[in-house]
Amino acid sequence: MNASPIQCPACQAWLLDGAFNQPEWSPCPACGVPLQMEVFPALFRSRSPGQSGETIMIEGESSCFYHPQKKAVRPCQGCGRFLCALCDCEFNGQHFCPACLEAGKAKGKIKNLENQRTLYDSIALSLAIYPLLIYYFTLVTAPMALFVAIRYWNAPRSLVRRTRIRYVAAIVLASMQIAGWGLLFVFLAGHRF
Amino acid sequence: MPDKEYQRLTRARSRSEFAVAFISRSSLWLGKDHLLYIETSGYTETYKRFYFRDIQAVLLVATKRRAIWNWVLGAPMTIFLMLLLGTLAGRSNSNTVAITIYAICASVFAVPLLINNILGRSCICHLRTAVQMEELSSLNRLRRARRVLNRIRPLIVGAQGELSPAEIPARLRAAVESPDVATPAPGVTASPSPTTNRPDAPPVIT
Repeated sequence: MNASPIQCPACQAWLLDGAFNQPEWSPCPACGVPLQMEVFPALFRSRSPGQSGETIMIEGESSCFYHPQKKAVRPCQGCGRFLCALCDCEFNGQHFCPACLEAGKAKGKIKNLENQRTLYDSIALSLAIYPLLIYYFTLVTAPMALFVAIRYWNAPRSLVRRTRIRYVAAIVLASMQIAGWGLLFVFLAGHRF
Repeated sequence: MPDKEYQRLTRARSRSEFAVAFISRSSLWLGKDHLLYIETSGYTETYKRFYFRDIQAVLLVATKRRAIWNWVLGAPMTIFLMLLLGTLAGRSNSNTVAITIYAICASVFAVPLLINNILGRSCICHLRTAVQMEELSSLNRLRRARRVLNRIRPLIVGAQGELSPAEIPARLRAAVESPDVATPAPGVTASPSPTTNRPDAPPVIT
C-alpha cells in the first residue's frame, strides 16, 4: 500500500490507498478513527498549466482588448471584446473576460457565481411576528415590515425557496397590526372628545 | 409544471449540537450538474457549489456523538424514571403532582433519546475537491450520508467516469510519476508525494 494524496480529517495523517472505495470501515493508520473513503477519477486528473497568451507575430492579427501585444483567441460572451488565452475565463462552458465575470457576480447576472443572498422575506416576516411578544413595539415594526415586504417584493429570494408566502404573511400581519393601532387611536380619540 | 432547479437532499440542520443557542443551519441540494450546500443564518444564505466533475473524494468519519448523547440524555432520564418508580411504589394519593412532574421530566429526556437512536450512527462527512476539503454538516448521520452518497454517486460517475478499487494503486502510481497531477487540497496543504521521504508519512507496506 502507498501513501495517498488524502489526509485523515481528524489527525491530518496521510491515508493509505488500500482503504479507498471499500465497503467497510478502515482505521486511520495514525489515529485509528474509522473512515470510509470514496475517491473519484478527478483525484488523479492532471492539472492543465495556466496559459499566458501567444504574442502576435503577424501584423494585422486580432489582438486582446486588455493585452494588445497578445493574440486574441475568442470573444467574450458578455461584452464581445477579443480576449487572449490569459484573459479568457471559462465558466460552465461560457467564456467571459474578467470584467464581465466580476460584473456578472456583482449584479447577479451569472446565477452560478452568486454565493450569498439576503432573505428579505424572512426579515419582513420576523419584523411582523417577533415584536408581537412586546406588542407596543409593533407600532414601529409593523410599518417597517410592510415597507420591507413591498420594497423587496421583486428582489431575488432564496435560490431554493420559490414562493412569496413569507411576504404575503408579513403584509397581512403587519396590515392587521397597523389596523389594530388605527382602531385603538380612533377609540381613544372618541373617548377624549 | 417546469422541473425544479434544485432537489432537496437534506433538510436544514443545525451546524452545532446546541441548536437552541445557534441558528446557523445548513442543507444540501441537488442541482443539474452540482451539489449546492447552503448555510443560512435565518436572514442570509451562503452558497457553495460542488460540481460533479470536480469532486475528488467523499470521506465519512465515524464519530461517538450518538453514544455521548445517549449518556447525556439517558442518565437524567434514568434518574427521573427511578424517582417516578419510587414514588409510584409509595402508593400515596398525595404524590400525584410528583408523579406527573417526574413523568414529564423523564419524557423530556426520553423523546430526544429515542430520536437520537432512530437517526442511527453519527458521522462527519467531508467532501474534497482540488482546492478545498469541506465538511457537510447536514450529513451528520451515517444512514443519511449513505443515502445521499448513493444518490450522487451515479452523477459523479457520469461526469467523471468509473473508478474501481483495483485501478486506484495504478492510477496513484501514474499520478506520482506525472508531475502535473492534481493533489494539493485539504486545507490547502502542500501536495504529498509518496516517493518523497516525508517525515509525517505513514509507513509504506510493500
